Formats: sequence, C-alpha cells, structure tokens
Amino acid sequence: MASRLYDWLDSRLKLKPLERTLLDEPIPGGASWIYVFGSATLFLFVLQAITGMFLVVYYVPSPDQAYDTVQYIQHEVRFGWFVRGLHHWGASAVMVAIGLHLLQVYLYGAYKRPRELMWMVGVILLLLMLTFGFTGYLLPWDQNAYWATQVGTNMVATVPLIGDFLVRVLRGGDSLGALTLSRFFALHVLFLPTLILSGILLHLFILRRVGPAGPWSEEQARRGSEPFYPRQVYMDAVVILGVFLAVVALALTVEFPLADRADPSDHTFTPVPEWYFLFFYQFLKYMSGPLEPLATWVLPMLFILGLLLLPFLDRNPVRHPAARPVALVSGVVFLVFVFSLLGISLQNLYGIPRVDPSVARGKALFAQHHCAACHRIHGEGGNVGPDLSYVGDLRPDRQWHIQHFRDPQSVSPGSIMPKFALSDKEMNDLASYVLSLRSGGKGAT
Amino acid sequence: MTLPSQRHEQEKRAVDEMSSPTGSRRKFITWVIGAVATVIGAGLLIPLAGYLVSPALKRRESSWIDVGPVEDLRQGEPEELEYVSTMKDGWRTTSTKKAVWAVKQPGGNIVVFSPICPHLGCGYRWDFEDRKFKCPCHGSVYDVTGKVIGGPAPRPLDALPSKVENGKLFVIYKQFKSGLDHSVEL
Repeated sequence: MASRLYDWLDSRLKLKPLERTLLDEPIPGGASWIYVFGSATLFLFVLQAITGMFLVVYYVPSPDQAYDTVQYIQHEVRFGWFVRGLHHWGASAVMVAIGLHLLQVYLYGAYKRPRELMWMVGVILLLLMLTFGFTGYLLPWDQNAYWATQVGTNMVATVPLIGDFLVRVLRGGDSLGALTLSRFFALHVLFLPTLILSGILLHLFILRRVGPAGPWSEEQARRGSEPFYPRQVYMDAVVILGVFLAVVALALTVEFPLADRADPSDHTFTPVPEWYFLFFYQFLKYMSGPLEPLATWVLPMLFILGLLLLPFLDRNPVRHPAARPVALVSGVVFLVFVFSLLGISLQNLYGIPRVDPSVARGKALFAQHHCAACHRIHGEGGNVGPDLSYVGDLRPDRQWHIQHFRDPQSVSPGSIMPKFALSDKEMNDLASYVLSLRSGGKGAT
Repeated sequence: MTLPSQRHEQEKRAVDEMSSPTGSRRKFITWVIGAVATVIGAGLLIPLAGYLVSPALKRRESSWIDVGPVEDLRQGEPEELEYVSTMKDGWRTTSTKKAVWAVKQPGGNIVVFSPICPHLGCGYRWDFEDRKFKCPCHGSVYDVTGKVIGGPAPRPLDALPSKVENGKLFVIYKQFKSGLDHSVEL
C-alpha cells in the first residue's frame, strides 16, 4: 500500500533520485556510533519546535496573564504538564547534545579545511540555541524567570559606551516589564526559529557539499566508505530513541514546578540560572569589582570569537588528536574549567549545608534539658518563655546568652527561668545554637 | 587539487568497495528504524492530541445560582432577576452580569425562563401594558406562561431548572439551540 503510493508519487515527482541523494551520502571509513550527535541535536531541536508550538496554543505573553496561562497548562490542560516537561527537559538535552557534537567535531579535527564554514555556522547555531534558552527562561513570568533575566540583562550594561543603550533595547525600556516579555516572546517563537532554521539548513547544505569528515586516521578513511543508509541511519535512530525516552522519563518523574508569580518589588529573591549557564554564574562570583567587565563581556566575547575563528587559528591540517597536543590540552583545560565551576556551583546550590558541630551539640543540649517545654521555635514548644525562633537576630551577643544560662535573673530581672549548671563548653555550645536561630540562618531548623 | 567530479568518482568507487548490509540483517535494521519512528511518533501524537483537544471537550460546569428572594415576586408579574455569574474562561475567571425572567404562576410555583428568545437568540422583554413577552428582533410574542402567541418563534420560551430554598430562588443557567421546535441544550 505504502509502496504503491510511493510509486504513484515517484512517477510524477521523480522521487527516486532525490532519495538516492539523501540516503546514499558516502561516509568515509563507514558508519559509526561517534557520528550520532548531530542527528540527536537535530531531533531534539525538532522536539523543541513541536512542543513549543503546542505550548503557544495556551500561552499569553503578558505580565498579567503569562503566569496564569503556564499554571493552566501545568494543571488543567490534559498532558499539559507533560508537554511543558518535554520542552523544559528537551532544552537541557539539546544543550548536552550540542556539547557532545561540538566535542566530537573538535576531537576529530573535523572543523579543519575544507569544513571551516560548517564549523562557523555550527558556532552560530550554538549561540542561537543559548539565546533560545535565555529568552525562553523569562516566559513563565515567575520569580526565578524575572530575577534571572534581571541579572542577565544587567550584565549587558557592563559593556562600555553602548552598554546602557543595549540594555534598554533588550528590555524595551528602563525596566523589565510587559515590553520585555513581549519582545522575548517574539524572539523566542518567531525570530530565533527563523534564524536557526536557516542556519540548520545551511549547516546541512555545507555538509552535503563537502561531505562528512570521517575518521581522523587517513588509513582508516582510505579503507572505503559506506552509504548513510541504512547503518548510520540505524545508529542515529537507536540513539535518538534513547534520547527521547530519557527526556520522556525526566518529564514524567522530575517535577518542574513554577516559582511564585514574578514580584518586581521582592528584592530578597535569589535567582538561579539554568544549569548550562551555571558555570558562568559561578565564574562571575569570583570576578567581582574591577574584574567584572572582564567576566561579563570581555572573556565571553574573546571566547566566542576564538571559537568562531578556530579553523583559521589552527591551520595544522593534521586531524589525529595525538598530533595536536595544543588543541587537545586547551580542550581539556576548558572542560576542567567549566566542569569545576559547574561542580562548585551545584554544590553551593544543592549541597547539604554543613552544620557547625558546636551548633549541633547545642541543639542536643536544648533537647536534653527540655528547653522546648517553655520556649517555642518555629511553632514547636511551649509558650511560657519567649519565642526563640529568631533570637539570634534579636540578641546577637554570645556573652549575654552565656551569662543568661548561668544566672537568668542577673541579666533579665524578674525572669522565672531556672539556672542551668552547665560546663563552660556546654554553655558555649548552647549559645552557638541559640545564636544560629536567625531569619535565613542555616541552623534554625 | 581534485575536481569535484573527480572526488565524486572516488567516493562512488569507495562506496562500492565497502559492503552495505544485505539480506536479513538489512531487514532487521530497516525494521528497527521503522519501530523507532513509530514509538516516537505515537509517544508524541497521543499526548499532543489530548493536549489540543481536551479543553475543547470540557463542558461548562453548571451549578445552582442564587438569584434572590422569592417574596418579592408577585403572582403573574414577570420579574427580571439579575445576578453576577462567575465563569471560568480558560485561565481567566470572568464575572458578568446576567438576568433571567421569573414568573410566579397562578398555582404558586415559580417558573424561570432563559432570557434568550428561542427563535434566533435575541433578548426579549416583558411588555407591561400588553402583558406579553415580546421579542424586538423578529416580533415573536409569548404569553406569561411562555407559550407562543405570535411571530416566527418555533417553540415556547425555554424554562430553566429552578428551586426555592430558605426563601431564595436558585436556578441553573443553561443555553439552548435556537430555531428548533423543541429545546436542545447547548
């Protein structure tokens, strides 16, 4: 049935030659699992495009309604949470796929002559993808979206001379608001897709004109080549299925809740960028003061330029990694740099806060002496004595507390609190615990 | 320097040199490619179809609305009772002012009419002098019980479910298809 339909179409549209052109592309050295990353990236891009189109069905890019529409998608539309989950995790997956694709091309020296243009278009595609991530992050209009974009756009202001102008253009005015949301939305769903689609087509066009690079060893390449179909398509398909199932599994199991609705007046909120910007976020923390512009725009600009012009900076025609020590070492250094910063950042964000042992001992003393019979901490305990939930803020003086434990009436006349016969060390530990009870204090719970 | 045509020739030869899978192995590979396409296709098609269709199929939930005390109603005198209806419109909750016509019938029971003319959906009025319901659009006329006594209307006024509890009148607001000779709920 399908083949008869195909024959019918072929007899009119002459599809067979096209099919041969598409599927018989020779791969030097034969099909390989190492060549799958480009296809996986393309698949994830298509997944983002499809889920994105469906999200727009219910999304409204206005500060009044954006948050409500995302809540509506998440909680009321059937499979809405799933479609949103696919789009969220797909965005992360596409960054991973691009990263692996780039590393493979770098390792294999596939950016070298005659593939310089393919590499440059690829770098531009990477930048477009990062812009997708940045513009998409604002759209849910929750606290995280708002404040992360606030920080992101502020960074542009450090560019000399035109910085302020650029920020205004980016935000559509003085401050982040309706105009920002609407231009980020337009960029995210119209401008960027058009640009990236053209870029992808160009990338593939160049690929077909110069052909895939194949293995780095000449010897292996000379053994002959194999058509793209069926073995390379098969390998690509298997990996794509794996990628799809991984994204589905993440969307099904890892909840991705919205933060509170964006509140421009709440300056206490600490935003966290997406994980693929985290290494940069961490880097910025070390580059404060006069070094800041270096981190916010000088180094990123140099890095992007270097990446873009890499085929012209590295003119050595040899592709074998062993013969390219400089390229290999700089690649490794870069990876170590990025992953260390990412690791530190993740640890700071999600690591278990280390409790001061003295605070822990003090907490044990607090329990042992039944202090909670009279004192309340965050809703637990009696209400005979004062509530101690934030006593560290109210009385930050350690000596006062120690004196108070020893003889309450001496510092607080009329107090009915009994004297506690504790050793000096125990007094100190108990004071440490009490001082840790602050708003935003780590030892409070 | 090799010319593109020469390069192509070389590649062609190279393709011939390396064997491409044949027979049952080729069949298996083709099958896997098809299976992957099917799994991903179905895995996306089903949730996406549900995503697109489900809100369209959602029926508006109707509940009893308090439209006011019954003691103000006089027998045989239709009264337009206004109320604020809160409706969920997708992610928005909107409040609109609506009205129904309530008439205390001779037997004492209260009948509530939908405020929309069953002919083509205009809003009709009670003519106090003529003591008839009249639709300004096409001239349909109804008596106090909702019966058609003139004009093109194909059926009597649509009655809404109503009840009286603790001296208050409750109705369920419904909409009906216009132009038919019997009431069909929308």
